[in-house]
Amino acid sequence: MTVAAPAMTSRGPERSRRRIKIPNERLFYAVLGFVGLLVIWELASNFDLDPETPGTQGLVKRILMSAPTLIWNAGIEDFSSGVIWPHIAISLQEWFYGFIISCFLGITLGLSLGWFRRFRLATQPLVSALYSTPTIALFPLIVLIAGIGLESKVILVVLASIFAVIINTMVGVQSVSWKHLEIASSFGASQTQIVRSVVLPTTIPFILTGVRLAAGRSLVGVVVAEFQAANQGVGFYIALNGQTLNTARVFIGLLLLGGFGIFVGELVRLVENRFDAWRPSIHR
Amino acid sequence: MTAGTQMIAVTSNAERHRSRLPRWYRRREASILSFSGLAAFVIIWQVAAQIGQLDFTFFFASPTGIIEAASKEVQLPRFWDDVATSAWELLAGSGVALGLGVPIGLAIGWYRRVGFMFDPWLNFFNALPRIALLPLLVLWLGLGTEMKIAAVSLGAFFSIVVPTAQGVKTVDRNLLDVGRSMDASQGRIFTSIVLPATVPYIISGIRIAIGRGLIGVVVAEFYAQTKGIGVIIVKSQQALNSDRMLFGIILFTISGILLSYATSLLERRFQKWRPGQDMEE
Amino acid sequence: MTSAPATQDLALSARGVRMEYLDRGTRERFVAIDSLDLDIKQGEFVTIVGPSGCGKSTFVKLVNGLLSATEGEILVRSVAKGKSDAMVFQDSALFPWYKIIDNVSYGLVCAGVSKKQAHERAMPLIKLVGLGGFENKYPYQLSGGMQQRANLARALCVDPAILLMDEPFAALDAQTREVMQAELLRIWRGAEAEGGARKTVLFITHQIEEAVFLSDRVIVMSARPGRIMEDIRIDLPRPRDLHVKRTPEFQEYQEQIWQLIASQLKAAASQFGGSTE
Ligand SMILES: Nc1ncnc2c1ncn2[C@@H]1O[C@H](COP(=O)(O)OP(=O)(O)OP(=O)(O)O)[C@@H](O)[C@H]1O
Ligand SMILES: [Mg+2]
Repeated sequence: MTVAAPAMTSRGPERSRRRIKIPNERLFYAVLGFVGLLVIWELASNFDLDPETPGTQGLVKRILMSAPTLIWNAGIEDFSSGVIWPHIAISLQEWFYGFIISCFLGITLGLSLGWFRRFRLATQPLVSALYSTPTIALFPLIVLIAGIGLESKVILVVLASIFAVIINTMVGVQSVSWKHLEIASSFGASQTQIVRSVVLPTTIPFILTGVRLAAGRSLVGVVVAEFQAANQGVGFYIALNGQTLNTARVFIGLLLLGGFGIFVGELVRLVENRFDAWRPSIHR
Repeated sequence: MTAGTQMIAVTSNAERHRSRLPRWYRRREASILSFSGLAAFVIIWQVAAQIGQLDFTFFFASPTGIIEAASKEVQLPRFWDDVATSAWELLAGSGVALGLGVPIGLAIGWYRRVGFMFDPWLNFFNALPRIALLPLLVLWLGLGTEMKIAAVSLGAFFSIVVPTAQGVKTVDRNLLDVGRSMDASQGRIFTSIVLPATVPYIISGIRIAIGRGLIGVVVAEFYAQTKGIGVIIVKSQQALNSDRMLFGIILFTISGILLSYATSLLERRFQKWRPGQDMEE
Repeated sequence: MTSAPATQDLALSARGVRMEYLDRGTRERFVAIDSLDLDIKQGEFVTIVGPSGCGKSTFVKLVNGLLSATEGEILVRSVAKGKSDAMVFQDSALFPWYKIIDNVSYGLVCAGVSKKQAHERAMPLIKLVGLGGFENKYPYQLSGGMQQRANLARALCVDPAILLMDEPFAALDAQTREVMQAELLRIWRGAEAEGGARKTVLFITHQIEEAVFLSDRVIVMSARPGRIMEDIRIDLPRPRDLHVKRTPEFQEYQEQIWQLIASQLKAAASQFGGSTE
């Protein structure tokens, strides 16, 4: 009864106590990482080795690296004077048309490729060749065929993004389970009922993944098209300001693109969550 | 029992769909269809080009024209110089992306707080078309090879970091507990459990990174127009030589196919299970 | 379409059924079932047991019209014209994307019943199988046993002429399995009380005990190619509960069937030049 037992050490509570210190650790460190880098950037660009020639001798050359405050000021300037709005509008237009066409065409093609085995086999070499091609390399060709207007840019956006939709949709259809098909037909489901009750529920998560990827790739298409042949658009705005050493404005363009990318990505994710009600959630 | 019921013969859907095609065909259907699909495409294109149906103002390439252009091209030393340049850009860029991306991804996945700190930046750069950074790279590095290597590695870097971190985070908890219960050191747990479990994720990152890197090569060469296969394409466009232009594009296609084949070999070697495809962006 | 006078009270009649599979790779024909004759009376509970791979699932799929026989004929009593009215009920085969109520009413919706009506007709069955209150849950939120209850309700919901059950309890643990066996008999009687006529059941299992406990008749099939070896009538009084498993009669039936299957296993083993023990 009174034998001295080895000391019992409890590990669990200690750990959780350490965690309680910062209520929202995730947010705390995210803000720290975000603000920290901005502050370092700002300080580095203000630290001039030679005050006679500001911005050229710094630890970080301000003319090449800009600085958070410079970017902020340039942003205020361009948004209040309104010069940036036409660029945003035209890029949005190119992105939107391309993305929508990609989604519709891609889903249709992906469903047919997944469902009709012979169609898939017959087009396989061509589809996988195009899939392995960096499709933006086709831009010079598109320009030859469709000129340098809106059409050629929309075509490039479509080419840049459509394969993400096609391939994901196709894989989705192919992952329809044989067992589920058997059940449906054992209950006498018609073709349309089978598609609605089995094929679509299985495929939609795949389609949405494709759509989310396509949203990002469409943005790549927009930028590349505007780098190559444009006199308007956010890509053009970035390229032009890069060439004229207007670095702050290059960063404004980048912020716009990144912000838009995050926004659209989250939007698709919301739709994905809506369709995920029937899956056990592993994240909560 | 009940009046009006009767015995009926069971018929299946399969009966109606049973194929009546000959045996030799059914046995090789996959290869026959693939081959004839490709052949039909090439023949229709050639015929259309021959009879001038495919006359979009400046575009008059044909399969035979491309082959002709190719045979002329490969005799030029400049061509091989271009190929070597593009290959070096891709190789060096991917190497840099891998060399930086794997350690950083491991750190982000392993140290929770480092992960939290990097999160906003990772999200931002993941959503941003990295190719948009090209003008900045030109400002910092000029129009030479360094710029292109940087463009390639920027394109590929995030495709490596994100899956690597993901891989570390999803290491089986039970395995970690086994390690801890045996009082293994952090370093030991890391090298014996975390690293092997992450390799498949890294490889699936490499698959995506290769595509991104190739895009980096193309766009950087289009942008700077000094040397490389991308320059062949742009110069051919300016000279309205669509045959040579398509030859350049097909070179990219071939490298894309070869590289993705090489990755599947790697995958087969290392990848016991496939992580979700969701990690791409 | 034949309807001989002798088949008046039959629910299912199979004559000379032969099923060959075609191997996609080698193009060889593979005989899964050979010259199988089987009659099942209306309201009978018939179980098929047999070694793995002897063609039990294949036979169920033939009855259900998912496959078509190479030779022979399968007749099924049907109320609806043109469509076989039998239902497969496989192991854990709910649609994961539908709530329980939508899963159970699936067959009705397929038959053209409006969703609202189908739900109304599904509710009593959900209660019958003991899932009242779970109708708005998704399958992943239910335990294995509960999923099988829902599965059973889905099959019962279309009021099939024959209830086809292919190893429905295979994935359950031993205790849940026993509970489900008793439940199945209770539901079988419950459905009878509600709908009038007794439901005909064709049940497939590997477990001899399960077969004896549930059935009016146990069909023992031989190893490949599957034929009927023995047709054993189980004369145990109904209603049965789990206590019946302790009776000597029950054990005798079990022993008899076990001997039959063991002889098959020995035959199969000697074919490969090995021995069983
Ligand atoms: N689609 C198919 N194509 C080719 N052969 C098949 C197919 N389905 C089943 N078989 C073969 O037919 C035989 C009978 O299969 P079946 O699934 O009916 O067996 P079973 O009696 O249900 O076995 P178990 O008890 O293991 O479920 C098996 O040997 C199997 O290999
Ligand atoms: Mg079976």
